[in-house]
Amino acid sequence: MAETVHGTGGLTFDKSRRQWPNELNIFGALVLIVIIFEALGALLVGQSFLFDSAGRFDSIFNEQRLYIIVLQVSIVGIIAIGVTQVIISGGIDLSSGSIVGATAMIAMSFAQVAEVNGQPNPKGVFLEYGWVDLPVIIPIVVGLFCGLIAGIINGLLIAYTRIPPFIATLGMMVTARGVAKWWSRGQPISFPTDDFAAIGNGLNGWMPVVIFIGLAILFHLILRYTVYGKHTYAIGSNEDAARMSGIKVDQHKVLVYTIAGMLAALAALVLSSKNLTAQAGMGVMYELDAIAMAVIGGVSLSGGRGSVVGTVFGALIFGVIISGFTFLRLDAYYQEMVKGGIIVAAVVLDQWRQRRAALRA
Amino acid sequence: MRRLLLALTASAAMTTGATAENIGVTMALFDDNFLTVLRNGIQELADGMDGVDVQIEDAQNDVARQLDQINNLIASGVDAIIVNPVDTSATEAMSAAAQSAGVPLVYVNRQPINLDSMPDNQAFVGSNEIESGTLQAFEVCKQLRAAGKGDGARAYLFIGELQNQSAIQRTKDIHDVMGMDMCNFITLIDEQTANYQRDEAQDLMTNWLSAGEAFDAVFSNNDEMAIGAIQAMKAAGISMEDVIVGGVDATQDALTAMQAGDLDVTVFQNAAAQGSGSLDAALALARGDDIPQVVWIPFELVTPANIDSYLARN
Repeated sequence: MAETVHGTGGLTFDKSRRQWPNELNIFGALVLIVIIFEALGALLVGQSFLFDSAGRFDSIFNEQRLYIIVLQVSIVGIIAIGVTQVIISGGIDLSSGSIVGATAMIAMSFAQVAEVNGQPNPKGVFLEYGWVDLPVIIPIVVGLFCGLIAGIINGLLIAYTRIPPFIATLGMMVTARGVAKWWSRGQPISFPTDDFAAIGNGLNGWMPVVIFIGLAILFHLILRYTVYGKHTYAIGSNEDAARMSGIKVDQHKVLVYTIAGMLAALAALVLSSKNLTAQAGMGVMYELDAIAMAVIGGVSLSGGRGSVVGTVFGALIFGVIISGFTFLRLDAYYQEMVKGGIIVAAVVLDQWRQRRAALRA
Repeated sequence: MRRLLLALTASAAMTTGATAENIGVTMALFDDNFLTVLRNGIQELADGMDGVDVQIEDAQNDVARQLDQINNLIASGVDAIIVNPVDTSATEAMSAAAQSAGVPLVYVNRQPINLDSMPDNQAFVGSNEIESGTLQAFEVCKQLRAAGKGDGARAYLFIGELQNQSAIQRTKDIHDVMGMDMCNFITLIDEQTANYQRDEAQDLMTNWLSAGEAFDAVFSNNDEMAIGAIQAMKAAGISMEDVIVGGVDATQDALTAMQAGDLDVTVFQNAAAQGSGSLDAALALARGDDIPQVVWIPFELVTPANIDSYLARN
């Protein structure tokens, strides 16, 4: 018996209809964009985009470029994983970026060193209480707790007061940003301990990538093979049917938003650690980038469709575009316009292929 | 009896109005490092004065919100308004609103586009961005010569926000200095924006490094981007002794990087003096005094040679 593509996500191959899984479309778009940059690179700058034309690395690839393509989207990618499951469940989360900002400020306050260059830490928030040089587990727990609280509030509002997720998370977006600014009255918080810095800089700078890919694998397995995953897709496909079949929809929604909040908090820890600073303006617009990555990756905004694998490909498309522009030395003023165009084109292409496939079936 | 009560409350209201001076302030951003120091400068000066109250609003980088805030402040009867413009090309509307209500207005830190045609009871207190980029570029040029690169040096340039007047002017300054005979041995490999953000600059620098071009210097429109570039270069194993890095602002984080030998040049912008200067100007205008309409607070070059006097300033 063939599984249908709808409703289960992941790499399902519908043998009876000879239909490609959706994720292959997105991977195809990624390959296409890489080829375009490769061609333009040969024409305009005389260098290869992905391959090591100057012989600087051991492998045939330009390892540093591959590294930066994934690294620069890893942090938003972590958020995108959380947002993916939220959108699949039929909701939306606009508060991720602000949760990043608030969590970064609060967690970093507990991760500071006592002395910088032989003088007391000029940015020490809790210096006067002596809460400096704390073991790294403390800022991590504090940070994840912030995400937990924000996510629970989002989930409870959406599940039990029935206000639209757009509005509830919009409120959290504004409030959390206010918390980020209020926390130290707008002052940035810097100079963390080496242990905390390892979160974003460890493994020779590969830590954010490892965390992103690790979480992606974990959540792909969760969404595909666990009851939690099946319920998420069910609620997104048809919430009333899910409720009537005995799924505890309200509790599940709280869980979904809580997980999204905690993933945003984790992204904040990686971001502030990587930059060795926390600023109240961190994370602005990250939620929109995360949603864009998910949508490009095949997640449907009306819920019930999509997968983490697709989101990862969507994130890679973003990474390729950013690196590609710098590679081609595209004038800074054109970059944002072109990026917007590519995002829309990728989604239109995906929609068109799905419509064709649906008409053929 | 009622008339007596009315007269009493009226006279009470008038006396409280006469002794306290209310100054309204609208800041472009609350979560910006530099602007926070500026805001604190205004607040501390006001706290130290008797009978002066400041009400500080956050425009959250929204031009429309800032104009609304100005109108609200006018409506609540402040004696003068201090504006840190979100968009320096949108200041005509703000000047017009204040002028038609007869409320004095002082622009601070960001140069309004109508600087030469401001009404009589309006002023500008800030630093000239022509100085910042020029001081930085000349010093980088000097240090490159001293390092023996005088026969040819290559550099990268980090631009701030593309629509920001400071970023545009500082970038232009750097180009102007590189065009002079003294410094035209420096060529620019590429210039891109990192939006004044440390994380964007870090990723951008890593992108540039993946192209494998040899370079000797990094110009940056602000310290945050310079620090991001330094982090990326260090992660790639490049020694900071081989690269001259220049920023602007002289923030605490930047001075720490300079002490560690990573950052070579920065320029101190006296945020606190701009803040207190703008409050002084606003009070003077409110009291009807005559003051110069443009007050320039000088930028100051900061290098490892004179870093000690700047450690406590920002």
